[in-house]
Amino acid sequence: MSPNALCFGGDLPEAGAPCRVEVSSAGLLVAIQGLPDETIPFTHLSVTAGGFDQDQLVVKWVHGGIERTVYLKDPAVIAAFRQAAPPELMPHLERTAAHVRRARSGRRTWLAIAVGSILGLLLVLWFGSDLLVRMAVAQISVEWERPIGEAARGQFLAGQTVVKEGPAVAAVQDITKRLADQIPNNPYKFEVTVVRSDVVNAFALPGGYVIVFTGLLKKAEGPDEVAGVLSHEVNHVVLRHGLERIVKTLGIVAVVTVLAGNQEGLVGLAKQLGIELVTLKFGREQEMEADLSGLRLLHRAKISSDGLIHFFERLTDADKLQVELLSTHPMSAARVERLKAEAATLPKQEPVPFDFEWKDVQAGL
Amino acid sequence: MKSEILYPGAFPMVRVDLAAGESVKAESGAMVACSPTVDVESKMEGGFLGALSRKMLSGEKFFFQTLRASRGPGEVLLAPTVPGDIVMLELDGVNEYLVQKDGFLAGGEGVKIESKMQSLSRGLLGGEGFFILRMSGTGTLVLNSFGAVHKIALKPDEEYIVDNSHLVAWTATTSYNIEKASAGWIASFTSGEGLVCRFRGPGIVYIQSRNPSGFGNWIRQFIPVSE
Ligand SMILES: [Zn+2]
Repeated sequence: MSPNALCFGGDLPEAGAPCRVEVSSAGLLVAIQGLPDETIPFTHLSVTAGGFDQDQLVVKWVHGGIERTVYLKDPAVIAAFRQAAPPELMPHLERTAAHVRRARSGRRTWLAIAVGSILGLLLVLWFGSDLLVRMAVAQISVEWERPIGEAARGQFLAGQTVVKEGPAVAAVQDITKRLADQIPNNPYKFEVTVVRSDVVNAFALPGGYVIVFTGLLKKAEGPDEVAGVLSHEVNHVVLRHGLERIVKTLGIVAVVTVLAGNQEGLVGLAKQLGIELVTLKFGREQEMEADLSGLRLLHRAKISSDGLIHFFERLTDADKLQVELLSTHPMSAARVERLKAEAATLPKQEPVPFDFEWKDVQAGL
Repeated sequence: MKSEILYPGAFPMVRVDLAAGESVKAESGAMVACSPTVDVESKMEGGFLGALSRKMLSGEKFFFQTLRASRGPGEVLLAPTVPGDIVMLELDGVNEYLVQKDGFLAGGEGVKIESKMQSLSRGLLGGEGFFILRMSGTGTLVLNSFGAVHKIALKPDEEYIVDNSHLVAWTATTSYNIEKASAGWIASFTSGEGLVCRFRGPGIVYIQSRNPSGFGNWIRQFIPVSE
């Protein structure tokens, strides 16, 4: 007779003794290996639901001064038990069954929600609308963004050499401050890190962590170009593009998590993405959005937008400038045209020069 | 399948003897060495979506590998990534174990592996470990831990509270809730996140004496670049 239940109590093993349980009109017949078979009358039994997911029938009794508990999960035995049990046990059984049904239907409901949501999300993605994602992102408070960005930055920097001081660091911080000061009601405290690498790139992480490579500073023809790139990156942060990508990448679970009001869960999920955050590609619309608001931010900070446009023009000619920036920031001639058109609409103004000397910055690299 | 723990202690390894045609499921990347008779089948456990959910949500590697002695009897050596104990559990068709995502090292042919979503509130509170593995069927189940494995046996209705990040595995008859530790406990639990599991017997809970993220944080302070 193969066992179909686990029995606990008395001298039985702590992990439970495999046993054979059968239902008869006289009660529950329990056969434990090495012990004499017992038939316990129904009147001696109490029942509850238990175990992982509350999906098992837990039957308890006291026999010869020993308390025994048996965990039943075989549906056939549970059904037989319900059929044979006397009326006085029925209320307990019904309550237990209701509990199990609730647990199961809860799971079914959850499954239905999950399937429905996935279909919904597919539809949403199909029609190119990011409404659901934006809704979820709008629920996330700025304080919750920081640990996500911090975790990704930590993982990224672990394999890099950070430039801690010098004219380059001071210049990049100076530019970022000038830009950040012009963001109305700015909730972010921007932290810029300069990384020693020939890679021509810069990126921003949720929460305001900006990373600039020395390769970008070497290739830039002036501080306006660097300011242009930084303004673009800073706007990715302010417009919460990174979060949108995270929510999109993690998919429906993240959306449901956030909409259900649990941000802690998102941080956990995002931490699992870890380093992948750094290489998340932004969408075309996000790029355009960061370009245009980046341009306007430069204007407010009284920095010439020619640098941004000129740098992007050089980027479109990928042969001239071997750049990694392209992989995370898809570039196109259309973007440059759009920027030029937007720049033409802004009132003319005299740019205010930077306090640092660009020659010193490049010499110090 | 016959298996044996070699070098028990901090740096153990498992030797699995396979009869001709027999196979063992192993966490991908766990194989150290094998006989030339053994073939690696990268099979997705639980179909495409099953594998996908593991990759995306439990943050684990894409596949379990099935190592099969398809060309005659042979042996396989398996080792976990982190230093720590290895435990072997016997599944008899009736008992079942829930295993934290990083705890699985290997399982016999008859061991059924299922990723299981923890109930919504539990998973969310846990932050990570949204998915856990439910092991059933028959055969040997090999788990690994970070540090030493400690076994906690619970009598029916007996309760025990465990720091979330120290969990390795527990029996399916043990019910549990993930809770926020009450204010006074927060500092005393090592994860510092104030999340604990309240288990309720009967059954067994296996915990590990070190916690990977705590160790990671400790290491990080010595790495100058991440300041
Ligand atoms: Zn961009």
